[in-house]
Amino acid sequence: MCPKNNNKFTGYDFIKESAGIEEYVLVENSLRVLVLEDHSAPVATFMVTYHVGSRNEAIGYTGSTHLLEHLMFKGSRNFNKDKNTAIWTELQNIGAQINATTWNDRTNYFEVVPSEHLERAIAIEADRMRHAFLKDEDRQPEMTVVRNEFERGENSPFDVLDKNIWATAYQAHPYHHSTIGWRSDIENVSTERLKNFYDTYYWPNNATVTVIGDFNKKEALASINKYFSEHSKSKEPIPPVYTDEPEQEGPRRIMVKRTGQTGIVGIAHKTPKGLHEDTYALQVLSKILADGKTSRLNKLIIDKGLATSIFMYDFPFLDNGLFITYAFLTPGIDHKEVEKIIINEYNNITESGVSKEEVERAQAQIRATVAFSRDGTYAVASALNEAIAIGDWTFYTNFMDNISNATEEKIKEVVKKYFTEDQSTTGWFIAKEPKV
Amino acid sequence: MGTFSDQVIINEEIKGVKTYVMPTGVKDVVTISGSMLGGSIHCAGKNSKVSSLVASMLDKGTEKKNKYEISDMLESVGAELNFSSTRYHTHFTGFCLKNNLETVVSLLAEQLTTPRFSTEELSTLQGRISGNLIRDKENTKKLAMIQFLRTLFPRNHPNYQATIDESVESVKKASVKDLFAFHKEHYGLGSIKIAAAGDVKAEALNGLLLEAMKDWKNKKTNIPKITEKAIKPKKGSQTIKVQDKTSADLYIGQSIGINREHKDYYPLMLGVYILGGNFSARLMQTVRDKQGLTYGIGSSISGVSFGADGYWSTWGTFSPDILKKGVGATKDQINLWFDKGVTEEELSAKKTTINGSYKVSMDSTSGLTSKILSNAEQGRDLLYLDEYPKIIDAISLSEVNTAIKNHVDPEKLYMVSAGTL
Repeated sequence: MCPKNNNKFTGYDFIKESAGIEEYVLVENSLRVLVLEDHSAPVATFMVTYHVGSRNEAIGYTGSTHLLEHLMFKGSRNFNKDKNTAIWTELQNIGAQINATTWNDRTNYFEVVPSEHLERAIAIEADRMRHAFLKDEDRQPEMTVVRNEFERGENSPFDVLDKNIWATAYQAHPYHHSTIGWRSDIENVSTERLKNFYDTYYWPNNATVTVIGDFNKKEALASINKYFSEHSKSKEPIPPVYTDEPEQEGPRRIMVKRTGQTGIVGIAHKTPKGLHEDTYALQVLSKILADGKTSRLNKLIIDKGLATSIFMYDFPFLDNGLFITYAFLTPGIDHKEVEKIIINEYNNITESGVSKEEVERAQAQIRATVAFSRDGTYAVASALNEAIAIGDWTFYTNFMDNISNATEEKIKEVVKKYFTEDQSTTGWFIAKEPKV
Repeated sequence: MGTFSDQVIINEEIKGVKTYVMPTGVKDVVTISGSMLGGSIHCAGKNSKVSSLVASMLDKGTEKKNKYEISDMLESVGAELNFSSTRYHTHFTGFCLKNNLETVVSLLAEQLTTPRFSTEELSTLQGRISGNLIRDKENTKKLAMIQFLRTLFPRNHPNYQATIDESVESVKKASVKDLFAFHKEHYGLGSIKIAAAGDVKAEALNGLLLEAMKDWKNKKTNIPKITEKAIKPKKGSQTIKVQDKTSADLYIGQSIGINREHKDYYPLMLGVYILGGNFSARLMQTVRDKQGLTYGIGSSISGVSFGADGYWSTWGTFSPDILKKGVGATKDQINLWFDKGVTEEELSAKKTTINGSYKVSMDSTSGLTSKILSNAEQGRDLLYLDEYPKIIDAISLSEVNTAIKNHVDPEKLYMVSAGTL
């Protein structure tokens, strides 16, 4: 697409536009910038998504991406406690919502600010992109903070079961370990290793900046140019992840037994990469199975009092993922009974497919979800963040069109293709009676 | 920036229903949040779970439609209607595309006015709610919080909490007859407040509501005068043992003897915010950021609405083997805060935070409707939302430090911890 006159801004190449969102690249260092002006409220969201997540880790430093994310708040050249400009203080004192999250494929830092303070958010993110302190004296106390975050996760039977299902389904690929990492890696990873991680991945050419909300596009782009163009591109190419998961050659099962009150069943099947065309049919399938009271599993399991809730884990990732149906059992209900119902329903779809009405209902539900993902600057930035993570931000803007193309035939085809017993990993959380 | 009073259209055409509509720039979507009086406080002397069961049964069928017909109407257009009940209110929220507003409003009215309350559906719901409650026995935070409030307040106080087992028993005991009786007594015109925001026109929404609710009868539900007071603060501690938990939860605090209308409320709220209201507050900056003892710690004032005297609590999560150290570090900060007070610089920063947060909260339609409805439920004029930043700005340092001295006593803190301890 040729740049139009209104897309010409000093220092940038215009790349493309989709659904009102414009993509630019900062010529100086290949920083990708997504911009959407929206003057509905006096608010702007600024987000930096780094293309690094727990998939870029290996044995010995699992959880490093997340621990590094914590250390990124400990101070940088211009924003630190010594200068009385600590990041949290600078931003929370103006009423900003500020945080960061880490997941399999990405790490994102964001600020939702009163629009007159957008420049402050830009300055902070630019500064810590290449000038974060990452001191060992900061890692020590932050390690115990993160370890407590890990411990809190371990308190939850669901979190423990989910970790075990992924670890069983993925043996070679780094999706094997959860983003929080293994406890011993959190405790022992060195500051040097974290710095090395930062110096490998935290570069403008490995990041996408998103700015949404109440601002003047020209001024916002000028501000991003002003603060980020001091950084060069990475001197070395960003190392790719080349580990493929070997083919699974049979069903896998795991059990987690702990003191608890109620059981959980989780049934996982391997799914394709997020950008694969089959993703859209799987998203529609997820709605047909468990979204709303008319969904199949709701009628078969919840309405019969066999489980208190059902949760579908169907997030698209950069690499292959998992489609997991979780059922939180009613006290006294046998895991086997619920597992059988879920598998039977998959088999029913393999044999008989889904109805046109079911597909249309699911598409309507997704249409509304997509519309609400435009409700607020943070909502847009957050949805874009996940699309950026899987490799193409237009996944977000084209999502509804692609969902509209998911037919009954396509859904039957993907269930037949992916929901095979040999590709399954089934996990049970067994609640043990407390010791007297 | 426009003010709320400039942008929100208020209507009281239907007696007993007050609507607040705020059209925004967002395309296609509409969020509706509403409430009416009818919460667990209105079950006083009876089964306290009836109000929440009534709310949860509203989507299980009406006189004319079964639950699948209702769900089908909503799900086929991607809309949602949710009902819940709190201490004082029954709440409803709706999310839909603008073209489906009529469907959602007519269903909302039908579900509120003519619920079916079938025995079979109630029985399934009771099993599901009981299962969720029993699962809470694994939740160390919830266990600590329940015990903390049971110690601070007497049984008939709005802030008192039933044990999980008591709640399960109440849920199981409720009958369809109880539900119909509660519905008949409290569901009706009178106290309904509805806030809507997004791609919505006030005339259109009000017209739909007028049509849908015109035949509904008036009910005289009021918030009963709260006569019970908190138990006098006393020093003490309790430990709840839960097996196989890698993290423990802690509550420390006390009752404060004042409600939201007291002159010290805002100064005290600001003081507590400086202690533990956000990440840049003292507790997170010291116990987490400097000492690395916790993933999360915070402090707040709660339970002060509708005339109830509330409480101040500090919550934190700790590894069981450093809980003692964490308690010590938390108490050090509380003592320092009490002894030396807060500084002018801290107060000024928090005032800016609150003013900025006010703008940021306008980022989404659900943020807007929640703010407008909550203000209306408190019986406040819409203008109050515009004046709130000025009220906060006018609070002086001495007012904050005096309020801390008046309502906090570090010698009489109560502490509950739960975990594998």
